[in-house]
Amino acid sequence: MSEHDHPPFFSSWRKAYWFALVLFGIEVALLYAFTLRFS
Amino acid sequence: MNRLDYIVLLATIIAIPLYGLWRTYDHPSLRQYLKGDKTIRWGTIGLSVLATQAGPITFLSMPGQAYESGIGFIQNYFGQPFALIVVCAIFVPIYQRLKVFTAYEYLGQRFDKKTRLLGAFLFLIQRGIAAGITIYAPAIILSALLGWDLNLTIWLAGGFVIAYTVVGGTKIVSLTQRYQIMVIFIGMALAFGIAVHRLPDDLSFTGALSIAGKMGKLQAVDFSLDPSRRYTVWSGILGGFFLSLSYFGADQSQVQRYLAGGSLRASRIGLLFNAIVKVPMQFLILLLGAMVFLFYQFEKPPMFFNQPTYQRAIERGYGPQLTALQAQFDDVFARKRDAMHAIVSEQDAPALTAQIRELDAQARTLRDDTKKILEQAGASPKSKDSDYVFITFVLHHLPHGVVGLLVAVIFCATMSATSAVLNALGSTTAIDLYRPLIRPTASDHHYVVATRWLTAAWGLVAIAVASFASLVENLIEAGNILGSVFYGSILGLFLVAFFLPRVRGSAVFFAAVIAQTLVLVLFFTSSIGYLWFNVIGCSAVLLFAWILQQTVFRNNQPATIP
Repeated sequence: MSEHDHPPFFSSWRKAYWFALVLFGIEVALLYAFTLRFS
Repeated sequence: MNRLDYIVLLATIIAIPLYGLWRTYDHPSLRQYLKGDKTIRWGTIGLSVLATQAGPITFLSMPGQAYESGIGFIQNYFGQPFALIVVCAIFVPIYQRLKVFTAYEYLGQRFDKKTRLLGAFLFLIQRGIAAGITIYAPAIILSALLGWDLNLTIWLAGGFVIAYTVVGGTKIVSLTQRYQIMVIFIGMALAFGIAVHRLPDDLSFTGALSIAGKMGKLQAVDFSLDPSRRYTVWSGILGGFFLSLSYFGADQSQVQRYLAGGSLRASRIGLLFNAIVKVPMQFLILLLGAMVFLFYQFEKPPMFFNQPTYQRAIERGYGPQLTALQAQFDDVFARKRDAMHAIVSEQDAPALTAQIRELDAQARTLRDDTKKILEQAGASPKSKDSDYVFITFVLHHLPHGVVGLLVAVIFCATMSATSAVLNALGSTTAIDLYRPLIRPTASDHHYVVATRWLTAAWGLVAIAVASFASLVENLIEAGNILGSVFYGSILGLFLVAFFLPRVRGSAVFFAAVIAQTLVLVLFFTSSIGYLWFNVIGCSAVLLFAWILQQTVFRNNQPATIP
């Protein structure tokens, strides 16, 4: 493992997971808006 | 296809492996051959994971799926981001910390040798057959529509893959996948642009979306709790989560992709990249299908897209029935096209919308009747007619050069998915079977040579499966069923390893054997939907492992958990 992989970085990984989930949530919201607009 | 198309096709599918060979040709150590080297960064890992999952079926079937049923299929990917985060947080750190070559090596360290062999064995059976289907599915469609020899098409796709995967190992697989997925992106973007451009001049893009929506093709998200609905947000999150967790956490063809390079950070970012881009990518592919659907509202489509099958039925004496249906279809299409032109000029016309929907339903009924006649004629197709929609659009309505590029897209998708699987099959056989059972102590070089031979052998198995795949009725369905039947037990082994620390080797081994037997019995004797086998297999391993550990294997020594 590289120096970037050590435990002190784990808290920032948690932020990365939340960031990915928030982006996914935005994608779903946009798809829902798309559905409402065009169906 | 003309000469230009063949030049584009051959140049694309040959240039990428040749470049890969030039960049990676070396005498690698076992670690380099199985995991690549430190030059593999998160971008390559991310694209490689994406390319491994997006096989040829994605690009042939998805637009056809949207053509038939709309873009609601997108919801099946809603569980994937959650699964990828679980893989990032739990699976990847363990694999990287233990420096394993294969996922099943971890099972050996956590439990015992027999559990490791069982995990590897279940993976090898399932993936060995699936690799053949991955080669066969595009080959049967391309050979039927282009008049190519089926075996030649199989060897064209399979032969190249075997050659470069054997020589370059994981590094060449990751490198070629990066460029193959770029070709795929360019080709699909061109097809999308041309499909939109070929719509009537007085129809704007927003207007096109509006009409496609009125025809029921653009319902991307459905929050309904009605269990009879085929695709909903809830079924997508729940079903997609289990399927993705099995696939990304316990399938060596994916595990080997994100362990390439050996950096925890690169593996995680590569997987998170997939968590973010997968849904938009699938959405655009499905939207392309909706655009092709709209295009065929103004341009007459064939009544049945799989024309070779249609012609076969005519040769067998069913011409009069099919001609009668064709006449009705032509009439329905002409009336529908007139209504479509009318709705372009006055978009708020409920009466016209209702008329178009009614005519569309009539056209669909005529296609169903056609299919019944083809079945009566004994010319039943090997895959759904919707699988032929996109490639028919490509071959008949795209300009030369782009046709060659789009056929290259199908080959690139086949080669990228197959190379990852062959690489994983060869590695698993060498590391989890050959090394512990046949030659426990040999040089690094010996294992590299053994892995190369085993990769080549699996390539030949895949081609043999592809050559006999015509015996399977619906080959795309067969691939999904195969995955669902075996994935559950494999995922169960890993979940017991992570979440039931008191359970030891013998308990989990027999639990997995019982669970797999149970799934096989249910598969052959019940009518349960095959997607449920994944959940049943996984839950059964967890439950039986816990019960067996509490009863039969109660007195076993505690395990040392890595």
